[in-house]
Amino acid sequence: MSAVLARRLLALPAVLFLASVLIFLLPRAAGVDTARAVLRSRLGEAEPDPDVLAAIRLEFGLDASLAEQYLLWLSHAVVGDLGNSFVTRTPVSGLLFPALGVSLVLTAAALVLAAVAGIPAGVWSARRPGGRLDRAVTATSVLGVATPEFVLGTVLVLVFAVVLPLLPATGWGSVAQAVLPVITLAAFPAALAAQLTRAETVDALARPHVVVARSKGIAERAVLWRHGGRLALTSVASLSGLFFGGLLGGAVVVEVVFAVPGLGGLLYDSVVGQDLPVVQSALLVIVAAAGVASIAAEGLQLALDPVSRSAAV
Amino acid sequence: MSTLADRATPTWRSARVAVAAAVVVLVVLAVLPLDAITTDLSGRFAGPSLAHPLGTDQLGRDVLARLAAGTRLSVGFTLVALAICTGLGTLLGVLAAWAGRAAGQAFQRLIDVLVSVPAIVVGLVVVAASEGPPGLDTLLLAVVLTGWTPFARLTYQLTVRERAREYVEGAVAVGAGPLRIAFRHVLPNLLRPLTAHACLRFSNVLLSLAGLSFLGLGVQPPTPEWGAMLDEGRQYMFAAPQLVLLPAAAIVGTALLVTVLGRLVERRWNSA
Repeated sequence: MSAVLARRLLALPAVLFLASVLIFLLPRAAGVDTARAVLRSRLGEAEPDPDVLAAIRLEFGLDASLAEQYLLWLSHAVVGDLGNSFVTRTPVSGLLFPALGVSLVLTAAALVLAAVAGIPAGVWSARRPGGRLDRAVTATSVLGVATPEFVLGTVLVLVFAVVLPLLPATGWGSVAQAVLPVITLAAFPAALAAQLTRAETVDALARPHVVVARSKGIAERAVLWRHGGRLALTSVASLSGLFFGGLLGGAVVVEVVFAVPGLGGLLYDSVVGQDLPVVQSALLVIVAAAGVASIAAEGLQLALDPVSRSAAV
Repeated sequence: MSTLADRATPTWRSARVAVAAAVVVLVVLAVLPLDAITTDLSGRFAGPSLAHPLGTDQLGRDVLARLAAGTRLSVGFTLVALAICTGLGTLLGVLAAWAGRAAGQAFQRLIDVLVSVPAIVVGLVVVAASEGPPGLDTLLLAVVLTGWTPFARLTYQLTVRERAREYVEGAVAVGAGPLRIAFRHVLPNLLRPLTAHACLRFSNVLLSLAGLSFLGLGVQPPTPEWGAMLDEGRQYMFAAPQLVLLPAAAIVGTALLVTVLGRLVERRWNSA
């Protein structure tokens, strides 16, 4: 078990290194002139003065070779110095880490809500496949998968902030402000978790150990949850790892719609404002978070599933 | 599992009727020759009338015409993007399955990483990395960059399974080369699962297109597109909520329609 995790942990720096090279090269590969990009992000589309361009090249060390620039960037990045924003000229880390905190809270809350809503719904609907409850859960989850965050978020704002002024439409900081963004972000993973849990539990309930459990006279509820639902947890756990990484980045839409000052919103603003250091740093953090989350999910899966534990050693 | 299928039958039958009706509505919408661009500032936010069955928007443009034009754009774009993703993913999946064990493992790890990157983030990266303003070309790149991976994963798994079958052994015995076996013998057997998978991915691509356009990273105004319409409508939510609800219904309805269609196709082929 620990060998698998150790191997994954060792692979993480390699993945991060590869990602950092790609992220560093990204604007250059596309032929973006960094000095012009700096000017454009500060002044709009004005035609740059050659002297100013040269000064900016000097300021950002753009005259060095690509490899030198990369090493300089990386050596600063590993000690937490991610450079200065083109736009605000303040350190990127000062923008990035508060935003990361906001996104972590938002994403974790959404995942918890998704698990609390999706997993029991899936187990309950597996109890009688084709029954009324099952059909209702299936229909809701299909609708949930087909509804993207920007539609759900906008409609929720329309209903709960405009038509019935119950909740604030934007912002971050109070519990009331968190309700709509968390629900919006949780809907899709909740729907997927319900579908996955249902399928796994239906399979599990047909297995021999469930027959044995029933024949021993164990209460139906215990059979359903301990012998059926528990097996589904394994795959839901591995899914949640994928989601945590994906949600951190995928929260872009939610953070834009609800004006939440998180990582996704920061990434969006910096892309629109062509603020390359912020874009690169935000991407790096998202990749790192996704990598850590996938390893954590694998650990959780091994802890929950004895079969994969013995198979993995 | 037979009880599951039996009990679900009436639901699926009514689903077939609903899907057929919805497809007809979409096709009729898409071919109607309506004017989606002309503005009429004296007739802004008009309610439903004979001239404008769904009313007009903030610039006095016909909402029905804009939704219909959005249908053509969304469905057309999605079909093109899906065709590229399917072709690329299938090709790479088959090649990886024939490239040996180590290459196959590396291929699967790469796909594991790429599959988990949300299309919106890819879209942001593509826009950040390109010099010009966003448009259909950056959208297509954003969708295709990671969109081929589910097809490649499916093709890889299916091809590895098919290779163990007897007909491949037979083909090897009569002297067929690996490429001939891959494309003439194995690939035709993958067409059904790949088509069913394409149906399931359709709504995903559709939602990426609408989502990126909603964020202003896709189709630019005044081109009528559902996601962009939804974004424009947000500013007039209080006065004209239909400008939000109509594009929202179009997006969710179409995604739902194709998802159900994909399941129907899958069911039919699985039972046949």
